[in-house]
Amino acid sequence: MHEEIAIGGFGGQGVLFIGRLLTEAGFREGHEVVYMPSYGAEKRGGTVWCNVTISDERIGALFIARPTVAVAMNSASLSRFGQTTKTDGLLVVNQSLVPEKVARHDIDVVYIPANDLAAEAGNSDVSNLVALGALLACRPVISLRSIHQIMEESLRKKQKLLQMNQKALEKGYGWTQKEYAGRVSGLKAVVNHVRREDAG
Amino acid sequence: MSEKTLMAGNIAIAEGAILAGCQAYFGYPITPQNELLEHMSKRMPEEGRVFVQTESELSAINMVYGAAASGCRAMTSTSSPGFSLQQEGISYMAGAEIPAVVVNVMRGGPGLGDIGGAQGDYFQATKGGGHGDYNIITLAPASVQEMMDLAMLAFELADKYRNPVALLPDGFLGQAVEPVTMRQPVTEFPDKPWAITGAVGRPKNIINSFAMDPVDYRPRVELLRQKLIKIKRNEVRYEGIALDDASLIIVAYGSAFRSAMTAMKMAREEGFKIGIFRPITLFPFPVKPLSDLSQKTRRFLVVELSFGQLIEDVRLSLGTGAQVELANQFGGVPISADEILEAIERIMK
Repeated sequence: MHEEIAIGGFGGQGVLFIGRLLTEAGFREGHEVVYMPSYGAEKRGGTVWCNVTISDERIGALFIARPTVAVAMNSASLSRFGQTTKTDGLLVVNQSLVPEKVARHDIDVVYIPANDLAAEAGNSDVSNLVALGALLACRPVISLRSIHQIMEESLRKKQKLLQMNQKALEKGYGWTQKEYAGRVSGLKAVVNHVRREDAG
Repeated sequence: MSEKTLMAGNIAIAEGAILAGCQAYFGYPITPQNELLEHMSKRMPEEGRVFVQTESELSAINMVYGAAASGCRAMTSTSSPGFSLQQEGISYMAGAEIPAVVVNVMRGGPGLGDIGGAQGDYFQATKGGGHGDYNIITLAPASVQEMMDLAMLAFELADKYRNPVALLPDGFLGQAVEPVTMRQPVTEFPDKPWAITGAVGRPKNIINSFAMDPVDYRPRVELLRQKLIKIKRNEVRYEGIALDDASLIIVAYGSAFRSAMTAMKMAREEGFKIGIFRPITLFPFPVKPLSDLSQKTRRFLVVELSFGQLIEDVRLSLGTGAQVELANQFGGVPISADEILEAIERIMK
């Protein structure tokens, strides 16, 4: 297992939050992890990114040049990840805010209306969790269950926010399975993964 | 699940210092070190210890001087411009033989620079930095785990040699989050009969770094010289990776080393036999272990986040027979594995 995940978006979209969730989940599932955020003068509206490496080997570089999985929450992130995502990789695009398409056939691209689906879940602010759901639906790098567990712990005192986040995560996951069934190479593996979880 | 926890590099230094029995912290905010100071502002009072946010880095280093002179374990942390301001105080402490820990989470320079990570303070840390003849032991972590472990070692070595010790991560390592195995707190501390503790029932101790007459001062400097020889003999630390069959050896530390690890993996997949030599102590520099390697291979590639500072120590260690190349970045920009791989391909072809 070696995944290099890059997530980018506007400050305030929760890019760092889902990066931390993935890192924590990878860590709890027994992998080596590195989380590298952008830092400094970020503010609401500026572009923020983070890199998450999850591996079963000692991890080298802190920074990711060619992600195996990328999430573009805004156009600036897409113009970067659209080029850098590794062949056979996955690119999740927040279609609600990003009108551009990616002209590549060597990667899986999921266009998901993350803000709209988040609004359906109760608040467009949780578009990040919708995107994370889409990511996990296509590439089960860590289990959905771990994410739920971590959110339950870290948002224990904010029940309303927790429920909204959980709903958004499931929404993104379910929507992607439905819309992209058979079209994304990772999905077959996902279905098996989910079945295994149900059985276990 | 395990005794490991996820932690940012800056936090790991703070927790390492607390585990090592740091009794007093003094500091002034500066990115990319701020989380360290912030964490100490919460944790030190929790532990019943001293935290002071000073009005500048100058007062921070001089408060460290005073606190450490009283015999307690004391530290400050800063980033590059602040480290420059502290050089006078560090020189005074070296002259007065006061143990203390100074953390410099390096950022882009010169001047006020930027908030990216860099390694441009290598000379400043390892070659003295302030005025006069002295060196400070300089430790270079390359993982969040080492941020904790070397912070603890820094206090131990400072007391052992009565000398300031610098911990020298770059800003990227300060921000990176990785799993850390928590260590046991230090419970035994060395006696400090030299400390200023009130002189009840004993002759007074005098701590300074001054004598009007060179006749009086030179013997003290001679003792410093002998101490540095001892440090060079006893405290060299380094890590070697895949050196056995290496036909090209990368020398790197900190986050540059991390990129080099990825580059090494990529290069080995292409069939290039690459090894890595990582100095953990930048002072004392691992001269002999490195020069011994030149018996095996004559090709070396130094990877660092500066114009080329580490490379000078590498060249001095290897002598004239070796081919020593440089792959670098600077000004607060990380070096990518790709850039290092390109340099490897250039050299190996």
